[in-house]
Amino acid sequence: MQTAPRLGAAGLVAALLIGTAGCQSGSAVADGDGPVDVGTIYDLSGSLSAIGTPKSDAAKLAIEDINASGGVLGRQLNLIGYDAQSDNAKYTQYATALVQKDQVAAIDAGVTSASREAIRPIVDAAGIPYFYGNLYEGGLCDGNVFATGSVPSQQLAQLVPYAKKNFGSSFTILAADYNFGHDEAAWAQKYIEENGGTVTRTEYLPLDQTDFGSTLNNLQQDKPSVVVSLLVGGDQMAFYKQFAAAGLGASTHIITPVFGDGQEQLSIGGAATEGIVIAYSYLQELDTPANTAFLAKWHAKYGDDYPYVTPSAVAVWNDWHLWAAAVTKAGTFDRDKVIGALESGVSYDGPGGKITIDGGSHHAIQNVYVAQGTKDGTFSVLQSYDQVSPAFEHSTCDLITKPDTNQQFKP
Amino acid sequence: MHFDHVVIIGTSLLYSVSLLVVAALGLALAFGMMRVVNMAHGELLMLGAYVSITLVHAGLGFWLTVPVAALAVGLLGMAVERLILRRLYGRIWATMLATWGLSLLLVGAVQFFFGTTTEGIANPLGTVKVGDYTVSAYNLVMIGAAVVMIVATYLLFHRTPFGATARAAAALPEMASALGVNVARTNMISFGVAAALAGLGGALLAPVSGVGPSFGQGYIGRAFMTVVVGGASPLLGTTSAAALLGGVNAGVSNLAGPVLGTVALLLVSMLVLRFLPTGLTGLWRRSR
Amino acid sequence: MIRMRPGLTGPLTVGAGALLALTLAPYTAHSVTLWVVYGLLALSFTFVWGHGGIFSLGQAAFFGIGGYAYGVAGINLVPSTGESLSSLLIAALVAAAVAALLGYFVFYGDVGDVYLAVITIATTLVLLTFFASTSDSTYRIGNALLGGYNGMVGIPGLVLPGGQRLTANGVLAVVVLIAGGVAIGIAVLLRRPFGRVLAGIRENEVRTQLLGYEVRARKLGAFVIGGFVAGLAGALYAAWGNFINPQVFSLQQASLVAIWTLVGGRRSIPGAFAGAFAVQALSDYLGGVTEGAVIPAVLGAILLVVVLFLPEGVLHPLRERVLSAVRKGTDLDLGVAESDPDPEAAFGRDATPASRVRTVDVQKRFGGLRVLRGVTLDVAPNEVRTVIGPNGAGKSTFFGLLTGRHRPDAGEILLDGVRLNRLRPEKRARLGLGIKTQVPSIYPELSVAENVWIAAYGAGPDAEKRVAEVLAGLRLTGKAQLPAGALAHGEQQWLEIGMVLVRRPRVVLLDEPTAGMTRAETSRYVELIAVLARSATVLVVEHDMEFVRDLGAPVTMLHEGTVFAEGSIAELRADDRVLDVYLGRAKADA
Repeated sequence: MQTAPRLGAAGLVAALLIGTAGCQSGSAVADGDGPVDVGTIYDLSGSLSAIGTPKSDAAKLAIEDINASGGVLGRQLNLIGYDAQSDNAKYTQYATALVQKDQVAAIDAGVTSASREAIRPIVDAAGIPYFYGNLYEGGLCDGNVFATGSVPSQQLAQLVPYAKKNFGSSFTILAADYNFGHDEAAWAQKYIEENGGTVTRTEYLPLDQTDFGSTLNNLQQDKPSVVVSLLVGGDQMAFYKQFAAAGLGASTHIITPVFGDGQEQLSIGGAATEGIVIAYSYLQELDTPANTAFLAKWHAKYGDDYPYVTPSAVAVWNDWHLWAAAVTKAGTFDRDKVIGALESGVSYDGPGGKITIDGGSHHAIQNVYVAQGTKDGTFSVLQSYDQVSPAFEHSTCDLITKPDTNQQFKP
Repeated sequence: MHFDHVVIIGTSLLYSVSLLVVAALGLALAFGMMRVVNMAHGELLMLGAYVSITLVHAGLGFWLTVPVAALAVGLLGMAVERLILRRLYGRIWATMLATWGLSLLLVGAVQFFFGTTTEGIANPLGTVKVGDYTVSAYNLVMIGAAVVMIVATYLLFHRTPFGATARAAAALPEMASALGVNVARTNMISFGVAAALAGLGGALLAPVSGVGPSFGQGYIGRAFMTVVVGGASPLLGTTSAAALLGGVNAGVSNLAGPVLGTVALLLVSMLVLRFLPTGLTGLWRRSR
Repeated sequence: MIRMRPGLTGPLTVGAGALLALTLAPYTAHSVTLWVVYGLLALSFTFVWGHGGIFSLGQAAFFGIGGYAYGVAGINLVPSTGESLSSLLIAALVAAAVAALLGYFVFYGDVGDVYLAVITIATTLVLLTFFASTSDSTYRIGNALLGGYNGMVGIPGLVLPGGQRLTANGVLAVVVLIAGGVAIGIAVLLRRPFGRVLAGIRENEVRTQLLGYEVRARKLGAFVIGGFVAGLAGALYAAWGNFINPQVFSLQQASLVAIWTLVGGRRSIPGAFAGAFAVQALSDYLGGVTEGAVIPAVLGAILLVVVLFLPEGVLHPLRERVLSAVRKGTDLDLGVAESDPDPEAAFGRDATPASRVRTVDVQKRFGGLRVLRGVTLDVAPNEVRTVIGPNGAGKSTFFGLLTGRHRPDAGEILLDGVRLNRLRPEKRARLGLGIKTQVPSIYPELSVAENVWIAAYGAGPDAEKRVAEVLAGLRLTGKAQLPAGALAHGEQQWLEIGMVLVRRPRVVLLDEPTAGMTRAETSRYVELIAVLARSATVLVVEHDMEFVRDLGAPVTMLHEGTVFAEGSIAELRADDRVLDVYLGRAKADA
């Protein structure tokens, strides 16, 4: 009995030592001509992997693409990627690894807003430029962060008037009961009112809701012309199937700024996808030379049977090219100068069209495509809007005159 | 309130109850009969859904895939009993943790082989018109399926020689063995039946859900609640617990919204457990 | 005796760990901090489950509550107090309070093991749902927003009194000291009477209860301590990441707790940390080199393999191998045969008055079956009474009514006039009732000495001395350090008698005491009962007619749930009705 704790204690010390081995390396982003490390963290396993996996694939392809065209300032890029496993503690941990151990020059990371909030304090403290290439609820104003995904003032601002004009003026809002859902619902409410529509009902649904019986009953009772769906995640996708099964699609149209970014149209199938109206700054279905060339690269690397290239994956692709352009423009990897170059309004001709950094808000000016789901599970573009500004962020956030702002503005 | 509205609310109530039954019956059977808390139950549902989806994509009609899913998952259940559970009977923590490991493993395996998203299948039926309302015909099928599952399980375990043997083998293994019952084989089949019910449930849920590797996790919480609230008797307990919880959930959801519906479900579960620690079955036992 | 000195190993290890913490690269220190925090969480599960036998899957819930409580306390208090240690303490106390509430429902509601596991996990999932739906800004406590699914942000890190900011290494060193302090505290606690009785509850709850311990309060105590430790870990977690979100209540987190503990060995305190280190190091490593489904699959496989093939953990078998090599020499000495037990030496005492046991028309039914139709019995102080009867006569039920396992539907059970009807077994034990069950009910995994100690401790001072006397009288001194489960069946019977008698009961209930004993042992038993009767009233429920005859005490015969005959064994043997009952039964059996 006496020996037991001692052996255990020895084991503890041994584990400490083993744990530390292999964590001691680290390369500085010094000037030189070796490869420059850049980093990503996404969820590649767990419940969020459907969104995270295409983003990771996009990052790898983008870095390869940049390296193939000679790198940045003549230096090759080396991508260090981590799988956060749908666990926010892992984001904290890997963000710290990228900052302290890997000492990368730039980071593109995060899927949910929760993950972004876990990363932000760490990269802010270290002063490493952080790209968040994902659609989100908007309003973030942080001098170190560039949020290039679509925001409500780009998506809902087009979707609502389109629906009002084509479908009718009574709206029901269905939102996932968490931060994103509540924020987007507030935006939807605002745009519906601004456009002269009426909100007949707003429902918040638990993230693990799978039975939408009472929601469908309410829809049948209210008979709104439009449903604004802010539902997310695998469980809530059941709504679209049950909506279609109950035959509600004939009288009510669904608009949504989130559907498709997690390849939802594949998981629910064409019958339930048909008719759903979405708005994104990129769609795999876009028939443009830029997109054709982009998809050719993508499919050459990942195979022709790749499920779907999502808007947020392309946002990641754009992020790395924007960063490369900014470094090239600044002529150095120095953080302040790169951010200065980005704020000066760097642009890049991406697969979805031209994308330009709005210097003051650190958001992106980009095209928005309103599209409708078809019964074979794809989307066809109904209308496109060129170079839409992130209007709300542009009006509330000016990091050029107030570089120390660090908060998320709400409508 | 008009007649059609009452009908539609009634249907949605029954549908909620039947969802719980379909999702929980296999879990309840394994727990009530064999004292196995199967943490991988959600993944068995998920596999049932995947079998159905894969076969539909291969060209089979949906209705044909349902029994195939039950059979396939049932066979897997037998293998799980043979390779894992058999070594662990009597140690509740061990069966729980082992099936938990299995659950993680199955999620990983499915994501590895099928990726994070899988093409879903369409609802095979149209709609039924009730006055001003329409309701998915599939919902009615689901209600029917729940009834059939309960009746069939009852008949199997209470009206066949196998059922008597199986119950004896699970409850009194030594005595059953002394009476010449092959306990090991019987338990294997019993767990197989429980797994088959999960596979069947998963296949039935596939057309009304988005199916991915974490499909099972959406149902597991509620399935556990149903089983705990129901107590040890798989059929009576599950039916009464599903009726209570599903009824409360759908009722409150219709009146006050889904969030309060979920809250009410959890609240009722906790109250039942506080006052009836052995679940609703305890109530039935007591009143007899 | 098993007096283990706390030793210096623990403090030295912790001190070395804290020093080592200062030498690591900052990034490594940051990662290792989380591992230590997780180790602390695993430790709470090791304590509650491995040592307390409470299979609570809710440790992740208390972890999360601790995290949130730290967030709320830290955001509101740190700006004014300038340090965060008080917030850590508050958080751990909040988690302990929640554990107390949940534990009260569970243990005082007499919820079974399976339900405990399921209820704790269901509670965790309820908290997940609740905290995920707190995104509205009305969910605010002071300056702290709960923040819904995104979680609570801006939580202060560790700030020591004096207000200076710590480096990553400093944080690790502080966390190592805190976690190490808790681990040493737990180790000390386990060697204290509370921990030793807790081990008894884990090994054999019924026996512990029959020895007069209030089992529910002790389990609740262990559960609350577990909640405190998990809550402290949660608070450190929130301080480490400066945020907390509802994910801490997920099944994923709950499963990790089980994996860490199992890998480290479910009773090993250093193992809890080693398990968390090993699993987290592996998953951190895999997260950097693999993609997709590999990590959950690997974790699942680890869990499955450990449960199936290494139920004592990965570390434990290694340790055992070393230990058994060390022990080899001494084990052989213990095998020396000793002489028969000497009841006089073990239990002989001066004659003391015992208690009177009476039952008045006691009835009990199970469902529709009337097992006892009314049993009236009066046993005078210091009398020996034998209760016999054919199978199904109601002997076991009657015994169960006396011990408190069942409660009578009607009638009275009186001990010196005190009504026992609804008293719980431990209360009866404390009134002086000693119970020896039919199958030896001991603590098989604890040492022989520890078995007797647990029995002796609750019954007055000088426990160690009485243990030594009893062991000597039972001729078990040489085997005192062997696990009780390793004793021969007869020795186990004697051990249990020793455990009952070391408490100096005023009434001894013996349920078929000679089952499985040899003839020679049985005659020792007759001797024992004679010794016992000097200081206690003895009630023997027995099957073996030879033994009853040897005992020569008055006999009460039960048949069909009521007293059928009373008298000396000779009188009963001469009674044709008695023979009919026994022979009739014999015919049916044949």
